[in-house]
Amino acid sequence: MNAQKILIVEDDEWVSEQYSRLLQKANYSVKITHNALDAIQSIDEYNPDAIILDMLLTGSTALALLHELQSYGDTGVIPIILCTNLADELKLENLKSYGIKKIIDKTRMKPDDLVLAIRSVLS
Amino acid sequence: MSATIGEHEQYLDGPLVDGLSSFVAAAHELKSPLALIRQLSLTLEDSDIELTEQKRLLRQISLTSERALRLTSDLTRSIRLSDALFVLEPINPKQLCEDIIYELGPLFNAYNRDIKITSQKHPLLLIANRDLLRRIIVNFSDNALRYAESNTAVEININTIDAGNTVRLGVRDYGPSVSVDVLDSLSTKLLEKSFANISARPQSSGLGLYIASQFADCMNGKIGFIRHKNGSTFYVDLQASRQLSLI
Repeated sequence: MNAQKILIVEDDEWVSEQYSRLLQKANYSVKITHNALDAIQSIDEYNPDAIILDMLLTGSTALALLHELQSYGDTGVIPIILCTNLADELKLENLKSYGIKKIIDKTRMKPDDLVLAIRSVLS
Repeated sequence: MSATIGEHEQYLDGPLVDGLSSFVAAAHELKSPLALIRQLSLTLEDSDIELTEQKRLLRQISLTSERALRLTSDLTRSIRLSDALFVLEPINPKQLCEDIIYELGPLFNAYNRDIKITSQKHPLLLIANRDLLRRIIVNFSDNALRYAESNTAVEININTIDAGNTVRLGVRDYGPSVSVDVLDSLSTKLLEKSFANISARPQSSGLGLYIASQFADCMNGKIGFIRHKNGSTFYVDLQASRQLSLI
């Protein structure tokens, strides 16, 4: 059985390395991109099963990427987990229409939280 | 370096954030490094990690802590600016930039990035306070590191402008440029002299610019930025030394 594919969109290299390590350990296939533009290309090429997305990205905010993804039928259904330092300022209800399934607070998350969230949205 | 066709240059010459905003900005800016340090520490608790990887994680914790501490140190310094007199002296900008590159080398190496100086062999001396100018350039360089694409070098450019009256130290990165909407917001706030929550990049609170502008003010200098098609230059303009003309 092929591993499920997770795209990490996170502009901090060391943070994205951490996510990648955790997900690979849980037997997911992982690809990392560091900005929204690269993410769009990666989504086309990599066809991820889920996306882990940082809210504040170099070049544009995640909202620009979310708008783009919602514009197409195939990309609009990819479950997205928002992993952000701004979790206190966001409400999941307001973001569900963008395909956001979960919000993880970077300042409080534990290593297991990421894998649990992915399992939850892909189950 | 000055803006050429297709680029945009802008001085940032006003108070960038008010008092309360600066507290919020400081909290926001410190969140990222602290969250990263916490994540790296939690990862280290995993007993499966090899020794070489453990050492790499510890190095990342150390360098991230230093970045956070630099911010707190700069913030403290900026708050105490009015209490102190700063000696302005002729400074060799190239020597100062070489010292900064030596200081930041380990951080850039850890991110697999390079940092280098582009300058004529003997640039004009400038009038500045050595500590404040060093903090400005370190701040710009640290900012550039966050946005530079992999396999690109951050450049510290030393140029003379304004018919030899001003020395410009600019830090150029090759990464995503400042977006047009952010630039419009910046320009509007510049016109309105209302700089609350201003920032040149979406993930920044603007605290670094705020601190740099305060330091520059103390030296009768100005900070600004140039938006390129493939990155940005943040710069500080300072008075050139007249020492040579007195000889």
